[in-house]
Amino acid sequence: MALKGLDIFKMSPKTNCKECGVPTCMAFCMKVAQGALPIEKCPHMGADVIAKLSEATAPPMKTIQVGDFKMGGETVLARHEKTFVSKNLYAVSVSDSMENADQVLADLQKVDYERIGERMFVEMVFVTYAGNKDAYIELAKKAAAVPGRAIILDVNCPTCAKEALEATKGAAVILNGATAENVEEMNALATEYKAVLGVKAENLDALYDLTAKIEGMGNKNLVLNASTESIKAAFADAVQIRRAAIKNTDRTFGYPVIVNAAALAAGDQALQAALASIFTLKYGSIIVMEGMSYAQALPLYGLRQNVFTDPQKPMKVEPGIYPLNGADENAVCAITVDFALTYFVVSGEMERSGVPVNLLISDAGGYSVLTAWAAGKLSATSIAKFVTENVADKVKSRTLILPGKVAVLKGEVQDKLPDWNVVVGPNEAVQLVQFLKDYK
Amino acid sequence: MPFKKTPQTFSAAIKAVEIGTGDKAITIGGENVLPLYSFDAEIANAPKIGVEILDTGFENAPAGLKAFYEGCTSMADMAKKAATIEGASFICLHFEGADPNGADRSVDECVADAKAVAEAVDLPIVIMGCKNNEKDSDLFNKCSEALQGKNILVLAAKEETYKAVGASAGLAYGQKVGAESSVDINLAKQLNVLLTQLGVKQDSIVMHVGTAAAGYGFEYVVSTMERIRLAALGQNDNTLQMPVMTPVASEAWNVKEAIASEADMPEWGDVETRGIDMEVVTASAVLAAGTNAVILRHPQSIATVSKLINALM
Amino acid sequence: MGKFITIGERLSTTAPAVNKAFLERDPEPILARAKQQLDAGATYLDVNIGPAEGYGPELMKWAVQLLQSNFDNVPLALDTSNKDAIEAGISVYNRAKGKPIVNSADAAGRIEYVDLAAANDAIVIALCNGEGIAADNDERMGYLQTLLERGMEHGMSEEDLWFDPLFLVVKGMQDKQMEVLEFIKMISDMGLNSTGGLSNNSNGMPKNIRPIMDSALVAMCMMQGLTSAIVNPNDLRLMETIKSCDVFKNNTLYADSYLEL
Repeated sequence: MALKGLDIFKMSPKTNCKECGVPTCMAFCMKVAQGALPIEKCPHMGADVIAKLSEATAPPMKTIQVGDFKMGGETVLARHEKTFVSKNLYAVSVSDSMENADQVLADLQKVDYERIGERMFVEMVFVTYAGNKDAYIELAKKAAAVPGRAIILDVNCPTCAKEALEATKGAAVILNGATAENVEEMNALATEYKAVLGVKAENLDALYDLTAKIEGMGNKNLVLNASTESIKAAFADAVQIRRAAIKNTDRTFGYPVIVNAAALAAGDQALQAALASIFTLKYGSIIVMEGMSYAQALPLYGLRQNVFTDPQKPMKVEPGIYPLNGADENAVCAITVDFALTYFVVSGEMERSGVPVNLLISDAGGYSVLTAWAAGKLSATSIAKFVTENVADKVKSRTLILPGKVAVLKGEVQDKLPDWNVVVGPNEAVQLVQFLKDYK
Repeated sequence: MPFKKTPQTFSAAIKAVEIGTGDKAITIGGENVLPLYSFDAEIANAPKIGVEILDTGFENAPAGLKAFYEGCTSMADMAKKAATIEGASFICLHFEGADPNGADRSVDECVADAKAVAEAVDLPIVIMGCKNNEKDSDLFNKCSEALQGKNILVLAAKEETYKAVGASAGLAYGQKVGAESSVDINLAKQLNVLLTQLGVKQDSIVMHVGTAAAGYGFEYVVSTMERIRLAALGQNDNTLQMPVMTPVASEAWNVKEAIASEADMPEWGDVETRGIDMEVVTASAVLAAGTNAVILRHPQSIATVSKLINALM
Repeated sequence: MGKFITIGERLSTTAPAVNKAFLERDPEPILARAKQQLDAGATYLDVNIGPAEGYGPELMKWAVQLLQSNFDNVPLALDTSNKDAIEAGISVYNRAKGKPIVNSADAAGRIEYVDLAAANDAIVIALCNGEGIAADNDERMGYLQTLLERGMEHGMSEEDLWFDPLFLVVKGMQDKQMEVLEFIKMISDMGLNSTGGLSNNSNGMPKNIRPIMDSALVAMCMMQGLTSAIVNPNDLRLMETIKSCDVFKNNTLYADSYLEL
C-alpha cells in the first residue's frame, strides 16, 4: 500500500516555501502520493524520508521462492478483497530419530494426482535434526533425492547445518534454524548456500527483533516459524504476522510463515487435518504434517484449490468427454458447461444415480449455464459444433441431454444435429438422479 | 523498534443466542472479534458442536458409525447414545425421511420422534427438514408446538417459507428460528430483515448461510461467511449480527471422497477415514471463516473438532 | 469504509418555532423535530442555538440533556459561536453513541474552536476557509493545512477533524461547483474525513427543485469521497440517494429492504 498524502506531509518540512512550484507542502505531498510529482522536487526533504517513501511503494509481503515453489506476495487479508496469490504448500516431517523415516519418505510420494488442472502432491520434506548428526546428513540426502520437492533443513546447529547443506547441494533448500543464539553463523550459511533462511524465536516480540536483525544484515530471503508451543499460540502468530504485514504495512513481518502441525498435534492425524484446514484459510504458507494420506489430501487439496481461486477468474475444467459410472461408447451423453462448480455438482449427482453417462463439458468460458447462455458462450451453434467435432466419432450413443435451464435451445440443437435425439434434462442438478433413473 | 501488537476488536458484537433450557442450554455468538481470534479478545462463547441424527437411520453408514448406534431402534435411542459423545453439546434431528420423493414419513411420525427425543435427553434440540418447503413448514410448525418451552431451533426458514416458519416457530411458540440462504450474502441479510420485520427478535435468529464440502465451490462459502462477519463487526450492520450455524455433515458425507468404496478406489484407502477427514476439514474451515456452531455426524470428527476448538479458546 | 454520516440540521434557531422553543425551554417542539429526524435515519443531530450570549451555556446543557435522555444518548453536533456554551454542552454530554462534534472552526477567526475540540476530545468541523470565500483549491488546501496542523499540535487524531469544503450556491456560483467537488476528492485522497452544509447549493431555488439538486449533488460528492453531510434527513429523496450510494460504495451490504433500514 502506498503512503497517503498525509503520511508524507507529516515528514515534510511544512514551510510552504513554494520552491517545488506548489503553493503549500500539503498540496505538494498529495501530488507526490498520487504519483503526479516526484518527491525529489522538494529540495528540503530529508534522505531518510526519501528512503522511507521508496520502501513504502514496495509490496507489504515479499514473495519468497524456493526451487519452483512460491510463497507469500499476498496483498489482502480476505480473498474477496482481491485474491490470494500463493497457495500454501505441504511438507511432511522426518527426523534422524525416526526408525521408519525411509517409509515416510516413500509414503509421501504416494499422494500425487491431478484435480482441475492442478497437480496435488506434497511439495516439501521437513527434515528435523534430533541429535544424531551422521544419520541426519544421510536423511537430508535421501530427502533431497525425492524427485521434484524442496527440503526444509530444520536444524539449529550451525556445524550440522553446514554439512547438511554441503550434502544437499543443488537441492531447493530452506535452512530452518536461525535463532537468537546462532543468527550470525546461520545467516552466513544461508547466504553462502543460497538457501532461504527460516527464523525461530520463543515469542512474537523476539521473532520480530530477530527478523529485523537479519534484515539488518542484508538478508531478506526469509520465512518465519509460528509457535510450536501450542495450537493457540501458533494460530495467534500466523494471524498477527500476516495482519502486521498487510494491514499495518509492517514489512519486518512481511514474510511467509511455517506452521508445524506435526509438532502441534503429534500422533493425531485427524487433528493435523483440522489444523491444516484453518491454516489454509488463515495464513500458513508452509504446513508441516506427519504424513499425507489420501483421506487427508482429498479434502485439504480441494479446500486449498478453492480458497486460492481468484474470485475474478472462476475455476474451469478442461472441455472433453467425462465417462461416469463406467460409461462406454453406448452410454447417453449429457452436456454442460466448464464452470468447475457446475461440473462438480452435476458429476456428483450423476455418479450418485449409478447410471452410466458420458458427461460432455463444452468450452463456455468458465461460466455457469445461464450466464454462459446469456453471454452467447453456450448456444445451439457451440453445442452442435462441440458434439460434431469432439464427440460424434468417439461415442456411438446418439442421445444428448441438455441442461433444463437452456430448454429453449432444444429445437435449434435438434435442427443442427439431425441424427441425434435431443432431450431436455432437469433444471436443477439435484433432480438428475431421479431423471437418469427414469430415463434409463 | 519492538513489534506493536494491535488487537483488532470491534465496538459491535455478534448477538448471543441461547438454545435449549436448564443446565444443558447453550449460547452461541456474543464475540466482538473475528472468528477464533481469541488472542484479540476473549471469545464470549466457544463454538459449539451438534450431533446429527438421521430419521432414516444409519443402516448404510460406514462400519464404525453404524457400530456406534448398534442396537438403537429409535431416534430417542440414538439421541441418548449421541448425548454421550464428548464435545457434543446439542442434538440435531435431521428428518430427511420426510421427503415426499423419498421415504415420505408423515409429519406426525416425525413429531412423535422429536417428542421422544426431548424426553430422552436434556441437550438442546435443532430440527432439520427434508428440503421440501411445504413439508418442512408443516414439520417446523408442529415440532415447535409439540416442544414448546424446550427452546429449540428450527433449521431453517427460507425465502419461500419465512412467513409461516417465523410466525409459528418464532412468534407463536417462542422457539429459535434459523434463516437459511444458500451462499447469497444479500439474501442472508434480507431474510434477517424480513424475520425481524415479522416480529421475530434479533436474538432469536440464527443464520444458516449455506455450505459445501471442501473442494466443492467452498470458496463461495468462505467469502460469504467472511463478508458477513466483516459487515457485522466492521460496519456494525445489526441485520447481520446473528450467529451462524452450519450443518456440515449432510454435505461432507455426500461427496464422492466420502462415499466411493475402497474397492472402487483402492489407493484412496478406508472410506470411513475419508469421510471423517472430509467432515473435519470442512468443519474447521467453516469455523475459521465465521461459524458459531457446526453440525457433525461421526463421533471421531466431533472429538477432533472439539479438540481444535478447545485448543484455540 | 463506514456508512455515510448524516447530521440532521433541523434543530436550528433560524427556524422560528425552534427558536421560540429554545428560548422558552419548551421540550415538545424540540423533541418532535428530533424524533422526525432520527426516524428518518439521521446519525447525528445538529443543535444550533445561535450566539446565545449570556444564557448559552445553560441553554446548551439543557438541550444536550433533553435530547440525550430522550433518545438513547443520541450523538450531537454543538453548533454555536458561543464557546462557553459548547464547553458547557460537552460537560454534560454522554459519549456512549459517539463523540460530540464542535460546529465549527475555520482557518481565521474561529481557529480556536480546534483547540476547544482538542481539549475536550471532540470532533471538530473545520471549514477550509479564511476571511471570505477561498479563491481556488490551492487556497483551500492552505487552510486545510493550517487547521490540520493546529489539531495535531493539540494532540488531536486526524480522523477527528472533519473538513468542510464550503458548499457554494449554484445560483450565482455555478462555475465553482466542480472545484468544490475536486477539493472533496483531495480531502478523501489524504484519507481525511469531510462534511458540510450540502443543501447550500440549492439555496434560493423553488422548493420542489431543491431535493433533486441536493440528491444529485450528494451522489456526486459521495463519489468523490465525502464522508458526511449536514442535511435535512426528512428529505426522503436525499436519504434514499444516500442509502443507495452507500450500497454502491460497498459501505453497506445490499438487501432488498435496504431503504427500510
